Amino acid sequence: MSRIRTLRIGVASCGIASGAEDVMAILKARAQGIPVVGVGCLGYCYAEPMVEAVLEDGSSVLYGNVEATEKAVDNILSLGDAGRFEIPPERKKREKIMVLALAGRVDPVDFDDYVAHRGYEGLKRALSMAPEAVVNEVLVSGLRGRGGGGFPTGRKWRFLAAKKAAEKILIRNADEGAPGAFMDRSLMESVPHQVLEGMLIGAYATGATKLFIYCRAEYPLAIKHLKIAISQIYEHKLNKLGDREVEIVIKEGAGAFVCGEETALIASLEGQRGTPRFRPPFPTDSGFKKFPTMINNVETYGNVPLILREGGAEYAKVGTEGSKGTKLFALAGDLKYPGLVEVPMGITLGEIVFDIGGADRSKVKAVQTGGPSGGCIPVEKFDVPVDYDSLKTLGAIMGSGGMIVINDDRCMVETARYSLDVTHRESCGKCTFCRVGMTRMFETLERITKGQGTEEDLDFLADLGPKIKAGALCGLGQTAPNPVLATLRYFRHEYEEHVREHKCRALQCNAMVKLQIDHEKCVKCGLCVRSCPVQAIDGNFEIDPKKCTRCNSCLDACPKKAIHRIPNGEEK
Amino acid sequence: MSIEFILDGRKVTAEPGQTILEVARANGISIPTLCRDEKVSRTTSCFVCVVRDCKTGKFLPSCSACPAPGQEIDASGDDVREMRRTALNLLLSEHTGDCEAPCTVACPAHAAVEEYVRAGREGDFRKALEIIKKRIPLPMSVGRVCPRFCEKNCRRNVYGKPVAINEFKRLAADLYYDEYMEELPALSGKKVAVVGAGPAGLSCAYYLRRAGVAATVFDAMKAAGGMLRYGIPEYRLPKHAILDRELAHFGKMGIAFDFGRKLGENLSLDELRKNFDAVVIAVGCWQGSGMRCPGEELATVGIDYLRSIPEADYVAPNPGKVIVVGGGNTAMDCVRTSVRLGSPDVSCFYRRTEAEMPAEKLEIAEAREEGVKFTFLVAPVKLEKRGGKLVLTCRKMELGEPDASGRRKPVEIPGSDYEVEADTVIAAIGQKSDIPAGVPVNRFGYADAPRGAAKLSDGLYAAGDCLSGAATVVEGLASGRRAAEEILRDVCGMDVEIDNPIYVSRGKWQHLKKSDLVFVRDGVSEAERAELKMIPQEERRTTFKETTFTMDKETVQREGDRCIGCSCTDKAECKLRKHAAEYGCDPEKIKGARLPVSYDTRHPLIIQDRGKCIKCGVCVKTCAEVINRNLLGIKKRGFNTFVATAFDAGFAGNCSDCGACIEACPTGALDWRNKK
Repeated sequence: MSRIRTLRIGVASCGIASGAEDVMAILKARAQGIPVVGVGCLGYCYAEPMVEAVLEDGSSVLYGNVEATEKAVDNILSLGDAGRFEIPPERKKREKIMVLALAGRVDPVDFDDYVAHRGYEGLKRALSMAPEAVVNEVLVSGLRGRGGGGFPTGRKWRFLAAKKAAEKILIRNADEGAPGAFMDRSLMESVPHQVLEGMLIGAYATGATKLFIYCRAEYPLAIKHLKIAISQIYEHKLNKLGDREVEIVIKEGAGAFVCGEETALIASLEGQRGTPRFRPPFPTDSGFKKFPTMINNVETYGNVPLILREGGAEYAKVGTEGSKGTKLFALAGDLKYPGLVEVPMGITLGEIVFDIGGADRSKVKAVQTGGPSGGCIPVEKFDVPVDYDSLKTLGAIMGSGGMIVINDDRCMVETARYSLDVTHRESCGKCTFCRVGMTRMFETLERITKGQGTEEDLDFLADLGPKIKAGALCGLGQTAPNPVLATLRYFRHEYEEHVREHKCRALQCNAMVKLQIDHEKCVKCGLCVRSCPVQAIDGNFEIDPKKCTRCNSCLDACPKKAIHRIPNGEEK
Repeated sequence: MSIEFILDGRKVTAEPGQTILEVARANGISIPTLCRDEKVSRTTSCFVCVVRDCKTGKFLPSCSACPAPGQEIDASGDDVREMRRTALNLLLSEHTGDCEAPCTVACPAHAAVEEYVRAGREGDFRKALEIIKKRIPLPMSVGRVCPRFCEKNCRRNVYGKPVAINEFKRLAADLYYDEYMEELPALSGKKVAVVGAGPAGLSCAYYLRRAGVAATVFDAMKAAGGMLRYGIPEYRLPKHAILDRELAHFGKMGIAFDFGRKLGENLSLDELRKNFDAVVIAVGCWQGSGMRCPGEELATVGIDYLRSIPEADYVAPNPGKVIVVGGGNTAMDCVRTSVRLGSPDVSCFYRRTEAEMPAEKLEIAEAREEGVKFTFLVAPVKLEKRGGKLVLTCRKMELGEPDASGRRKPVEIPGSDYEVEADTVIAAIGQKSDIPAGVPVNRFGYADAPRGAAKLSDGLYAAGDCLSGAATVVEGLASGRRAAEEILRDVCGMDVEIDNPIYVSRGKWQHLKKSDLVFVRDGVSEAERAELKMIPQEERRTTFKETTFTMDKETVQREGDRCIGCSCTDKAECKLRKHAAEYGCDPEKIKGARLPVSYDTRHPLIIQDRGKCIKCGVCVKTCAEVINRNLLGIKKRGFNTFVATAFDAGFAGNCSDCGACIEACPTGALDWRNKK
């Protein structure tokens, strides 16, 4: 049996949150000279902390959910059988790892490690070509913006390349704000050089003079890695593109969701209040300080080195007619294997949710794509291929890659309410339709989930939603009604039950639900009584619905699963 | 190079950089906008200016979108109007304020209360009268008999008693009514016949004449006034000293009267319609309802009783022991009149309780002071004559479930009947109209016009009680004015705007706290309300002398200091209100939370009222881009966005009081504190 050559441990944010740093410390202490490398994210969130033992023959053994104990670490060092992690075979079969190939494989802040894995080959090739030829390569690749809009990247580059100006600005949009989305963070933490290489290629192709990374301040590790990587780029003079040098600046965003919208992002970068403005003029005509400006998403830049290294035509072999390459998804919600996945365009939703995510076919009722601005797609439509255009026809959007699986024990009205809770608060407040309209829609959904909704409320939502989409100034407002309109379209019966019968079939809306103890199962152990924060359970093990806040503490505490949520008025 | 595109079906030309809004304006197409101000860079905030790109179906903010060659733009279609209406309704749904002062809104005639109270506060009661008469042509009468809808809605009720608004009318009229003459335009040649010289008919004739249209008022009685003369008792409205004086003015204005003419008897509707350009029916409600029980014919009808007194010149016999059945204002007039005629024992019988009585609380209190007894929860069952006396059989009642009017319905208690003796039993149950033949009647027995309107058919209009059912004097005046306006518009072809204003309201005062009110003016008086002085109790019981005195000038002036001045500083110029009215918006259409009341009067001249802000940021840009001071900024985000000064320190010493931000503000969110 081969010996361990290197030990890799995932210390991206998700790994750290699961205790990977403690594991790493023990690993280092006991590795007896075997190099221990902190790497990025492997994409198996549910198995963090993860350690990969790379053997001398090049093969490797993965360990998941590694505990920060000497015993667990020694088990790894002896290549023991306990805690070995197997990539789910269905996932292995369906994933197409391109952009994430180096994530979790290289030390994010080791320049040489990246170069050793064919890093900066794309840039090198680009610099050997004429800038127009580079743009053309991206055009041929069919790459479309991964931030959600899906605008052909090559065309955007060509716009900027054609501009004559004293300064031309390139911006990387790393203001990943949607709840449940972490594709960009993973990329920046795991392979900062890859996205920087993409930017440098873009700068060469378009003649950009200044490069900004607009990254949300909530990503300290990504910012740290980027800063180190940038200094390494300067050190190796990789910012010298032909006969000119470009500057790379990181700007930390203050946490406004809307600053992911390009004109708001530019305003924020300029030091203004982060609010969008009407387009045209488009940023490529007049952007940062009125200079021609191009904005691409992190993942988009992450694809570029591959395209230049392998050639646009080769890249275009993956994907569908209109959507080329792969897409990263942050898979979350009601499934067995949440995590970061990379799939070829054209894969079906069902493959992602059931085969890769391991969700329960008997329970899933929908998936929400595109974060809080996306739509809910019902399970009946899961055979739809994942590409920009197909999702749009379903009233959803590709979005930046958030994908939340929803089981039948979740209420669709509540799901919509939750999404709008985010978006209406993240409205910048500038335009009427978004500022007031979204607030009114949110208030209406609150009423419905509280059991105070009326039939007219449903008409109001159906009437106002499309008007907000048509009237709002920027992409935030133009998509924010999606979760309501999509759930109204596919799950109208749930809304109707809420307003007509005051019934929540998922038993999620507290106002329409009571908690009840099944006395046949109850063993009177008293754990529920002790867990109740409001003393709603009396000595006879009856729950007082007036006191009960439906917090589910008792339900979780009950060892006999004797406590149930039941519809109001159905108590026995 | 200029480009061509299609705007509302017309080929138009745009210069480079010109927005669709600018091109539309240059071509006479009006597009509303709140947030576009040419002095500053565009804000693209309100979206009231949306137009539609016909090819893509997309809506564009015309203030910011430049046309593309060959583009087809719809700036006036139904879809576009609906989007604008929605944007305006959304803005109204977050708008906090009182466009108009609640007193003015509550006044059926929508008299400019705040304005005449201000004139009075400043001591200019002549100006006050001028303002009052724009809406109330009978200020002497209304100043005495009005149930004061205004005062019931006065914001001052939130903490203490309302401003004594009606006293301003009474005093202003007492002081200047005789000498004040309206500017009267030359007669246009059009002629209108008004049938009925009550408040509605007089008001109609008055506003017609003020607009230059001749009016002839016909009346069946021998003098003008209608209910003012023949319904309302002398002690509330002296006929000679006050009413005659007030009505003389109508003659001076050139309004013709023709008395003793009753429609259908010695006055023909067909003749009138032939000889006049329009006819207004304002015959009132003079048919008293009976008690609806056996023997009801033995009772005196309340309205007839009241009319008989002035007709007999106040020389009427003592009615003996009196029972008045009913709980309205007519019933109160009957009991108090009976007291004055010498009755030793006057009772009012009402089938519900005092809380449900429709009569004015003040009238009930004054009747009680004058010795009237009240018996509640009784209904008449039978009226008989026994040995020279009337015997009224009554049944006791109890209150049941609320009925359609929201009042608890009286329910009979079986076996509770009892008898009472009286010399006179008066039925003051209600009044109906006796609509002359040839006038369309609705199922309630009143003249049949669409709700709120006066027009019955071409050239035929109605006003007052015969249109609305028995109502108050001020409602009659409003109704008469409405008929006059419709005639001026429809028959005389004048450009009359019949107001249908948007009134955003902070809500009923009952739901407000003092901190919900906005005090634009410093020094609102904390004094108690001035109370009316009355003649001695003995005189009240024995004579028909007017019971109250007109307040003196100083008292009324001081009362004016108590006025908060709730109306919006920008009510005349607010673009939100203007466009909302144009687009038929409704402030109640979309409901939802509003920002808490928050205003800033630290600047001696300027008020900032956040509840009225539409967050367009034009003020911020004006101060920064035009004035170069940068005193204002936008804070917070989303629904909680607001405009504030740096560190919320107020304008501090840096403001030059230039008012450019006020000028730029489309609403009253920033305004001068002193109202025009």
